[in-house]
Amino acid sequence: MTPSSTAEFATIFEIMRMSTEDGPGIRTTVFFKGCSLHCAWCHNPESISPNPQLQWVGNRCIGCRTCLSVCRENALALTESGMEIDRTRCTGCGDCADACPGTALEIMGKTWDLDDLTAEVLKDQAYFETSKGGITVSGGEPALQSEFAGQFLKALRQRGIHTALDTCGCCRREALDQVLPYSALVLFDMKLMDPVLHKKFTGHDNRRILENLHYVADYMRSHVHPSEMWIRTPLIPRATATRENIGAIGQFIGAHLRNVVSRWELCAFNNLCRDKYLRLGQRWEFEKEELLTLDFVDEMADAAKSSGVDPDMVVPTGSTRLE
Amino acid sequence: MTAVAQNITPPLKMPAGLSPRMEWLREYYFNGAERAWNNESTSWTTGTPWDVQFNEMTFYIVPETYMLMQTLLSSYRQSARPVALPPDFWAKSLAERRAWFIKEVMVKYLPAEILPGDLIAGGRFNIQASMCLTETEQAEFNRLTAGKNGARSAMNWFHNHGYGNAGATCGHLVPGYDRVLSIGWKGIYEELENFYRDLSDADRKGPKGAQLRAMMTAATLPRDLAGKYAKICERLSAGEKNSAHTTERKAELAQMAQNLKKVPWNPPETFWEAVQALWLTHMLVMSDENYPGPGVSFGRIDQYLLPFWEHSIASGMSREFGKEILKCFWIHANTAYDAMIRNGNQGITSGFGQLITLSGLGKRHGTLLDMTNDLTFAILEVIDEMSPILEPKPNIRMHRDSPDTLLDKMTDMVASSQGAPFLINFDERSMAGMMREAAMAEIGHLINKDNVHDYCPVGCLENTMAGNDRSGTVDCNLNLLKAVELAITGGKDLLPFVDPMTLKKEKIRQDGPSTGDAAAFQRWDAFWSAYRQQTAYIIRKCVDLYETSESVRARFLPTPYLSCLVKGCAEKARDVTRGAAEISFVTLEAVTFATTVDSLLAIKYLVFDEKRCTMRQLRQALEDNWEGHNVLQALAKNKAPKYGRDDDAADEMAKQVMDLWTEETWKHCTLSTGRRFRPGMLSWNYWAGDGYIMAASADGRKKGQFLSNAICPSNGADINGPTANANSVGKALGGKDFENGDWETYLNSLPNGASHTMTFNPAIIKDPAHREKFKAFLKGYAVNGGTCLQVNILDPDMLKDAQKHPQDYRHLLVRITGYNAYFTSVGRELQDEVIARLSHEQF
Repeated sequence: MTPSSTAEFATIFEIMRMSTEDGPGIRTTVFFKGCSLHCAWCHNPESISPNPQLQWVGNRCIGCRTCLSVCRENALALTESGMEIDRTRCTGCGDCADACPGTALEIMGKTWDLDDLTAEVLKDQAYFETSKGGITVSGGEPALQSEFAGQFLKALRQRGIHTALDTCGCCRREALDQVLPYSALVLFDMKLMDPVLHKKFTGHDNRRILENLHYVADYMRSHVHPSEMWIRTPLIPRATATRENIGAIGQFIGAHLRNVVSRWELCAFNNLCRDKYLRLGQRWEFEKEELLTLDFVDEMADAAKSSGVDPDMVVPTGSTRLE
Repeated sequence: MTAVAQNITPPLKMPAGLSPRMEWLREYYFNGAERAWNNESTSWTTGTPWDVQFNEMTFYIVPETYMLMQTLLSSYRQSARPVALPPDFWAKSLAERRAWFIKEVMVKYLPAEILPGDLIAGGRFNIQASMCLTETEQAEFNRLTAGKNGARSAMNWFHNHGYGNAGATCGHLVPGYDRVLSIGWKGIYEELENFYRDLSDADRKGPKGAQLRAMMTAATLPRDLAGKYAKICERLSAGEKNSAHTTERKAELAQMAQNLKKVPWNPPETFWEAVQALWLTHMLVMSDENYPGPGVSFGRIDQYLLPFWEHSIASGMSREFGKEILKCFWIHANTAYDAMIRNGNQGITSGFGQLITLSGLGKRHGTLLDMTNDLTFAILEVIDEMSPILEPKPNIRMHRDSPDTLLDKMTDMVASSQGAPFLINFDERSMAGMMREAAMAEIGHLINKDNVHDYCPVGCLENTMAGNDRSGTVDCNLNLLKAVELAITGGKDLLPFVDPMTLKKEKIRQDGPSTGDAAAFQRWDAFWSAYRQQTAYIIRKCVDLYETSESVRARFLPTPYLSCLVKGCAEKARDVTRGAAEISFVTLEAVTFATTVDSLLAIKYLVFDEKRCTMRQLRQALEDNWEGHNVLQALAKNKAPKYGRDDDAADEMAKQVMDLWTEETWKHCTLSTGRRFRPGMLSWNYWAGDGYIMAASADGRKKGQFLSNAICPSNGADINGPTANANSVGKALGGKDFENGDWETYLNSLPNGASHTMTFNPAIIKDPAHREKFKAFLKGYAVNGGTCLQVNILDPDMLKDAQKHPQDYRHLLVRITGYNAYFTSVGRELQDEVIARLSHEQF
């Protein structure tokens, strides 16, 4: 069974409560596993593969070797430098994680059914009401599990909960049709305007993304929901964070998304995910990259504000380098 | 978070906006032991060779002082100065002797001064006065306390064996200050006269007559002391030279003399008079009890002072001068600490808990409304401008409809003080607890839906009514975890007690009921049943221990002055120490709640549900303090369910533990004073200290590690964030019932309330948009959470500690747009960067 193809089950890698960064108010963000892009700078590398993945958190390991005895695939080896996971053998069955007394071994990606997930996120309904917050479906790319995501959002809308869809835009149009009617807010990523660079850094060009962006904007003009769209642009050194790129995104917004977009977030590069790559046994191109300076972020914000959009809607977010 | 330039606040909150007067007074106060003037305790004796001043029982709930008790007692005795007694002194009743003695010391012996610039009179009040006992009485008192089977040895046994502590402690109530402001001490005196007149001849000659006479003597103490201060003010005023520089001060002193001639004997009219009357009345409670301000709380000060505030503002008092009067009052409240001034910082940094209550619901024209007013804000400004300063401690009452203006001010103060300089009490849940109390004790005529909104917390967060309620809110502190230990062993200590001085090992005895060796239990139900019986046992044990000091206090330590301020005492012609308050409970504060719940969850998970070990193996691991059992310990810590994560199954266990111990608590009454026991969860600092006494616990905690604090989840267990933590707390208290709530839909098993501390990442208050989210969280807490919240803001030191002890901080989240991680699971280098960022307030 591939969880992504059903309306009853989804693969979720994290449920983040009291999230304050993914839309208005206090929110619970549900991170769907599996992404259609593969951005070189991705902050959540565990979100990319649609399959459950094993990771090892070294400082939780008590060295008891229980995992080695339960692994049926002989995929684990505890060496002096830590746990070595043979990812060609590991099937992500989770037996070792179940057995691990220290929870050093964890499976990223759990299967949730619709009722359980709905009940789980409704636990914070009181805070959604006091904060005008709600639920954000994020990822990965939630539209890859659109049937489930649509049903989930629908169930929440029926209870009067504010919903937000956080999407990279790289998905089938039918998938959007399943989630848009139940999303009050769309957080749409615009990373790079140059299709060649887009392909270089994310694995895909941006043709489909821009088409979908037009589609969502048209959809919003003719429907009550979604009623709001925020654009999010990651500021990545040597990739997205150039005056040309920011200016081009701003021109696109100004030209095509007037009266649709109410906020444009410039999300400063962040290096805290370095260890996530290590734990997944992956190399990361930005491993040695420092945070951006405040001056540089301000420069990008100026580029955005002078690109033809309402300057008030440009909001830089994230940390900057300590100076 | 926004990367645009932020307001960088200084790392330490500094006082601001103080006048030269207040700057001087504040700085003078913080000179501490260097000051020429102080309020250090002085000791006074009847001159008899058997005389004793220090009442050790008041410190039975302070384990740190156990080793010093005899020393303190003797030192006060050695340094006591004699007071000349009238010839008929020993012919009078104990209450009358004591009332006369305190008044004599305060009015005739204790020096009285006015500090430069001060607007409020009433300086020294910390005294250790003679118990005024006859030789026979004193011998009996000594036998019952320090004798072989006396209260002290019973208390020591209880504490040494990990049960907790208990003792009849003073303070911890809201005296009827509002009555002094409305009828003056004169009115109180006249009432006492009427009660006395109504006594039969026989009663007048008996203890009732003696009690009322003692109270009448005490009621004239504030009048005579105010008169003494009035003269000092007049003298000082006359002594000020007629220069431009001093004219203003001269007039202030003259006005102070006028105020003191009028109040607190007569009711005040102006704000200045009201604050003067309030201070003098309050400080004398501390004199009467010989103890500096332990939870002697002011109640709803922004409500009962409001008419005077409005009157004076309307008559031309500037708002700033009104605040200046309050700031002087603040300084006076802090001089309570002078009692321990030689302890250095410790004396100044620990909270005495003269609590003020601000805001909250109230009734106007029959409708329940928010009562925030201009005085509420003026007082918050005073706190903000004076901070950091400790007393009086503020507790802000919040509810679902608290005004935005109040929440904005609170949030600003949290942001500028790196944590809240106040506690936040939550009305709906708190009132539900008070309504439960009314129902359980059948006192609906005293607490009901028409007056429950007038509840106020004392000390920190202990909810009571005002002016007629003494509920012993810190007197009994019981480690619920002891019952888990006893259920495992069948009623015996797991480890023998070793005397730290002699290293003598006590033999393990059968202390609790013989519920059998838990190794023989086949099912969880059998274990739970043993736990039930042991819980009933430890509660009874605590109740019995309390009786040993409560009965002695009732016999020998009357407080006639305080009794004048507690409704029920004059009516019954009985002292407040004899249970005469209209509402007179003893609160049993449960300690170690989460450790207990998590231990039960671990036993159920490891032994019965998942069968990861046998009970015998688990017991062995606990006896070995988990040494050599690291796999089992890791399973207990990481795999067993925990309270505090909004996991319904785990929180159901919390609810069951709560129901069990609270229902058991309500069954008991003191024998000597007829006070019923009621449940609460405060747990002061015991969760730290008793962690070294209690054996290892099944939740994976080793002996020597901290226990859980009040109603908080165990350290590091709340891995699902603040909302989950708050929801669990609300559920443990009973959650909601849409048909049969205690108050509206709210349930609350703890009328006293429950202390809950949460630590937030500073990112939550970094900009206006996030502050709105923080405010919304507080409002959500009012819907789902507990009775009282202390908000702390994460500081770099905590993160440094997390680097050293990652196992205790698994819940710490680092969160930045689109990215989140547990602090302890990011690499060292990045952790250092997060710490540096926090230190520079760049989140």
